[in-house]
Amino acid sequence: MVVKKAAPIFANKEDSNFREALKLYDAKQYKKALKLVETNLKKNANHAESLALKGCANYQLGHKDEAEPYILKAVGKGPDNYLVNHLAGIYYRSVENYPEAAKWLKAANDNGSPNKPILRDLSFMQTQIRDYKNLKDSRQQFLEHQPGYRANWTAVAIAHHLNKDYASAVSTLTKIEGIIKDHLTDADAYEQSECVLYKNSIIAEAGDYAQALKVLDEDEDQIRDQLSFLEYKAKYLMLLGSKKEASLIYRTLLKRNPDNMHYYNLLEASLETLDKPIEFRLKLYERLASFYPRSDPPKFLPLTFVPASSPLFEAKAREYIIPQLTKGVPATFVNVKPLYKDQKKLKVIESIVVDFYNKEASESSNPTIKLWTTYFLAQHYLYLNNLTKASEHIDAALKHSPTLVELYIIKARILKHEGKILEASEVMDQGRKLDLQDRFINSKTTKYLLRANKVNEAIDCISLFTKLDEDAVNGCKDLHVMQCNWVLVESAEAYSRMYKDFEVKLEELRKAGPAEGEEESFKELENDLIENIEIYKGLSLKRFQAVVKIFKIFFNDQYDFHSYCMRRGTPRDYVETLKWEDKIHATPIYTRVLKGLSEFYFDIHESLATKKTEEEPVVIKKNNKKLKKLQAQATKKRAELISKVESEKEDADPLGAKLLQDLTNDKDIIERLFELFKPLIQEGSGLILTWETLYRIYLIQGKYVLALQAIKSLNKILNPYGSENKFKTIGKKVVELSETSKNDDNANAAIVKVIEKGLISAFPDFENGNILEVYTQ
Amino acid sequence: MGITIRQATINDIQAMQNANLHNLPENYQLKYYMYHILSWPQASFVATTYDEVEGFGDEEEQDEDNLKQPIACDPKGDSAYISKGEKIVGYVLGKMEDDPEAEDKTPHGHITSLSVMRTYRRMGLAEKLMRQSLYAMCESFGAQYVSLHVRKSNRAALHLYRDSLAFKVTTIEKSYYQDGEDAYAMKLELKLEELVPSKARQVIEDDLSKDLLEGL
Ligand SMILES: CC(C)(COP(=O)(O)OP(=O)(O)OC[C@H]1O[C@@H](n2cnc3c(N)ncnc32)[C@H](O)[C@@H]1OP(=O)(O)O)[C@@H](O)C(=O)NCCC(=O)NCCS
Repeated sequence: MVVKKAAPIFANKEDSNFREALKLYDAKQYKKALKLVETNLKKNANHAESLALKGCANYQLGHKDEAEPYILKAVGKGPDNYLVNHLAGIYYRSVENYPEAAKWLKAANDNGSPNKPILRDLSFMQTQIRDYKNLKDSRQQFLEHQPGYRANWTAVAIAHHLNKDYASAVSTLTKIEGIIKDHLTDADAYEQSECVLYKNSIIAEAGDYAQALKVLDEDEDQIRDQLSFLEYKAKYLMLLGSKKEASLIYRTLLKRNPDNMHYYNLLEASLETLDKPIEFRLKLYERLASFYPRSDPPKFLPLTFVPASSPLFEAKAREYIIPQLTKGVPATFVNVKPLYKDQKKLKVIESIVVDFYNKEASESSNPTIKLWTTYFLAQHYLYLNNLTKASEHIDAALKHSPTLVELYIIKARILKHEGKILEASEVMDQGRKLDLQDRFINSKTTKYLLRANKVNEAIDCISLFTKLDEDAVNGCKDLHVMQCNWVLVESAEAYSRMYKDFEVKLEELRKAGPAEGEEESFKELENDLIENIEIYKGLSLKRFQAVVKIFKIFFNDQYDFHSYCMRRGTPRDYVETLKWEDKIHATPIYTRVLKGLSEFYFDIHESLATKKTEEEPVVIKKNNKKLKKLQAQATKKRAELISKVESEKEDADPLGAKLLQDLTNDKDIIERLFELFKPLIQEGSGLILTWETLYRIYLIQGKYVLALQAIKSLNKILNPYGSENKFKTIGKKVVELSETSKNDDNANAAIVKVIEKGLISAFPDFENGNILEVYTQ
Repeated sequence: MGITIRQATINDIQAMQNANLHNLPENYQLKYYMYHILSWPQASFVATTYDEVEGFGDEEEQDEDNLKQPIACDPKGDSAYISKGEKIVGYVLGKMEDDPEAEDKTPHGHITSLSVMRTYRRMGLAEKLMRQSLYAMCESFGAQYVSLHVRKSNRAALHLYRDSLAFKVTTIEKSYYQDGEDAYAMKLELKLEELVPSKARQVIEDDLSKDLLEGL
């Protein structure tokens, strides 16, 4: 921090020492700064500024545990001292505790700090914690301090926009446009274009499309991004009912990008052809295809709207598929697959391809045509789960072309569907060896190896394409650095299957008991299994947690952009970014990790609840020599394993043993799970996973009203269109909740009644006592 | 719905990173993708496809379920997906040269990364993605040329850049890649009028002069 002008008057020696120390701190001379404040504190242990600076310096010097206590003491002594406030803010910012940082930076400003850059830092914190209400003020105050930069105007406009104060946002943007109008250089042209479009998008968001259209046309010469210009304009025209005019814009957009499916749909909407006879629409698409012969949509889209029952479908599908097979487009099947959700279309396509296979393809002098047709059919039958036929086709193709990688991918997939997971990974690996340069086939092999629980082999495989640090045995660390989430999740799941396998083995072993005279080797085996369970459990948890960590990084990544985008002049995408960050916890990989973790946490919770006596690994008495040898072997094995699975250099807990230990010892593991799922209440309210898990959490925690809400939310998702399907899972939960709450001696009787009533009113079948018979879907 | 090519947004970057990690050895942290989108929002494009059926696990596991009546289920736990049923199968990540040390100060673009999932290759997606990106760089940022690097041994990419898109090799950069392989540095001069994507190899143009529905 910089104390420039108007520093407070330093009355005594302590204060002047402190001032000196602050200078040293700003010059990153933390040791010297610390020394100086320590002399101060010797004289006056309550000198608040010195305490605060000591906390900050300790943090910078790596004494992280000795930082916060001093900060807390400092703000206790000098809660209204803006220097103390500011230092506290700085400290909390460094530890990424943004709510506290925002609180203290705001206090510094409110308590009269003359240091204006605080306002900027404060605005970053406020954005980070989505305190938009106060953001508006700090951005505004900073603008008043520095009105000479467009970035500060843009920042204020964004703050208004985030508060849905559209009028203020637009007027701010309009005002700075006016001020800057005559001073724009070529270098500003991009920013100008983006800001003008930003303003326009806000006018539209506020609902005034006529005004938006008018302003858009006025600003046209300022706009470089013609794609946005055209898309906005077409949209406004449509919303204002000027369809004819809109259709011309969509045609212009198609000229720019004839491969965007949405433009065709929108063009049809603007031409009002969607309810026209199929024959008419087909002619339209033929015309468009003549303009855009290399584009897929004008050929593909007719297949979506022509019904399977029309002979035209057959003709069009043939026109679409046969040339692709003849040309040998490997993606022919994935191209038509989206049509398969219509059973009748599937049948028509099947007969077209089977027909072609039997006649033209077989008779052709070009054998690759038959090959690609066979490849298509293998995928087709795999889709239908007709694995025998799928195998026949893929084997025939492989016999013909044993060096074509694509065939191995499908063969492996068929094997996987037959449950032959190991064999599948071997076939994929054969394919990989045919094209060692291609990372895609390497990735597939890695995935299949992981599915076969061959984690070490999988990591060795993918390591052919990762960065290898010196003295690393594989690319495991690089996969973490590069945020390769798919591998981390697959690894976590593989480790989890592995430890469960060992659990089954342990149970079997114990059931069988030791054979006569074999007690010692039995114990050894038992210990071995117990150790493996611990190791793989720990590793599984570790990998799941690695993804959680990566998502924390994803969330923190936005931080730098709170200032960058204003300067850069990309407010539209910046606002989108904030919205995107607000729902990243509901994105696919993260929810998959949460699901894995929830199973973990529930398992531990249950095993703790039912645990009888601690199973100490039994110490086996052996003669010293033997024991030593065994120990040495075990240590070596462990070290080897660690070198393979370490997720970062000098990982303190490479096997996740501590993670697992902490979790197992956590008295409130269900609350920890709740903390993980909490973001989903907002971000993933439409996910089944959210409510299934929260229901279980609330039930365990005895929060029955919330559990009831969770069942209702779940039921709503399962019945998306107001339908009234009666699902087994709902019925079961209704009964379970009712019984659990009634049998809970700690439950408040009034609450139990509320639950009973709530259940009956939401699920009337419950009252009749036959809900389990009715809810069977 | 089939395949669509459109501008990339921030919502796509996780899936772009996923595709990059599947296809190429040069990988980047997510923040670098954010940096691209938030610095040059117009320069990157994705190819997406829709399959209507979702659930946990990924692509292959779902196949049997396709036949059943779809009931409500969560999106797949696969980072190729960006929303229910929509997944990214290819992307181009483009930028403008912003290195203050760069010798050449004329505004020019650079292709950071391009790849297409193997199952969707050889149907022109990479070429289309490139053409969109080149056009946008030129239009929005005034790029006068675009440059890129390609492995000497990468036949597919070389064919795409040199033969399909008419890039020229400017230099060979020795040991450009981590593993020691050389790179071709390539370059293409950009002229907006010549770049309109639909005009590439086009025969008949929609000059917008006629009523599109006339005579149908
Ligand atoms: C390079 C890559 C992006 C090409 O994607 P694609 O969608 O298959 O390419 P296209 O279908 O648009 O093909 C463009 C041209 O290259 C040709 N081509 C594509 N793959 C080829 C191959 N394996 N060998 C020879 N030519 C090939 C096509 O025939 C086409 O030529 P044409 O215009 O004469 O018909 C894709 O192979 C890929 O993702 N590879 C791995 C990642 C990679 O190498 N990226 C490039 C890094 S610089």
